[in-house]
Amino acid sequence: MFAEGLFSAFSVLAVLGALGLILFRHPMQGAMSLVVTMISLAGLYTLLSAKLIFVLQLIVYAGAIMSLILFIIMFLNIQPEDLPEETGRFYYFIGGIVILIPIASFLIKIMKSLPGTEATIVGNGFGGVKEVGLVLFQDWLLPFEIVSILLLVSLVGSVVLAGSKRRLSK
Amino acid sequence: MIQDYLILSVILFCLGILGVITRRNVFTVFMSIELMLNAANLAFLAFSRLHESMDGHVLVMMVMAVAAAEAALALAVVILLHKHKGKLDTNVFSLLRG
Repeated sequence: MFAEGLFSAFSVLAVLGALGLILFRHPMQGAMSLVVTMISLAGLYTLLSAKLIFVLQLIVYAGAIMSLILFIIMFLNIQPEDLPEETGRFYYFIGGIVILIPIASFLIKIMKSLPGTEATIVGNGFGGVKEVGLVLFQDWLLPFEIVSILLLVSLVGSVVLAGSKRRLSK
Repeated sequence: MIQDYLILSVILFCLGILGVITRRNVFTVFMSIELMLNAANLAFLAFSRLHESMDGHVLVMMVMAVAAAEAALALAVVILLHKHKGKLDTNVFSLLRG
C-alpha cells in the first residue's frame, strides 16, 4: 500500500514536470521542470528495485547532463526578447494532441494486455552493482566497447566543433 | 502493477513527442528528446522487473551513455548556431535547405 502511494506521488510529479517542460516559455524554467521529472523517475526506478540505475539516474542524468544543459542556457544569457515568439503555439498543441491521442491509446491498450505482476521489491541483490556488472561484462561486452568508441567520437567531435571558430578567425 | 509503469512511460513519451513537434525553442526541443529517452528507460526497467532479468538495466546504462554523448554534441552545435545567427528559433536554422 505504501509503494502504491509512492508510485502515485512520483508519477504525478513526473507528468507535471513533463507538462511544465513543454508549456513554459523560457528554457530555464523548462529545464527546472525536467529536473523534477528526472528525480521522480529515479524514485520510480527504486520502486522497480533497480538500485544501480537509481544512483546513475541521479548522478548522470539529474546531475551531469542537466547541469551541462543549465550551464549552456546560462552561458548564452537568454533574455526574454531573444526567445522565438511562438504565437499560435496552443493551436499546435491542440493539433499535436489530436494526432497523439490515437497512438497513445493504442499503445496503452497494448500495455494493458501484457501479463503483469505486482511491483514488489525483488531480493537476492536484483539490480545491485555486482549483478548488473556481471551481466554487463559477460553478455554485453561488445556493446559496452562500442559505447566507449561512441563516447570517444563525441569527445573528438565536440572538440572540433568548439575549436573551429578559432581556426576561422586566424 | 507493472502495467502502470508502462502506461506512465507511454504518457511521458507522448509528452516528449508533443514538445518536439510543437515548440520552436532549440533547448526545449532538445530537452523533450531527453524526456523521450527517459520514458524509454522507464519501459526498459519495467520490462526488466517483469521478467526478473537484468538485461534491461544494461540497456539503460547504454542509453545513458548515448544521451551524454548526444548532449555534448548537440549543445556544441547549438552554441555554434547561436554565434552565427544570434537566435534560438529552429525555423532560423535552415542552412541545409535546397
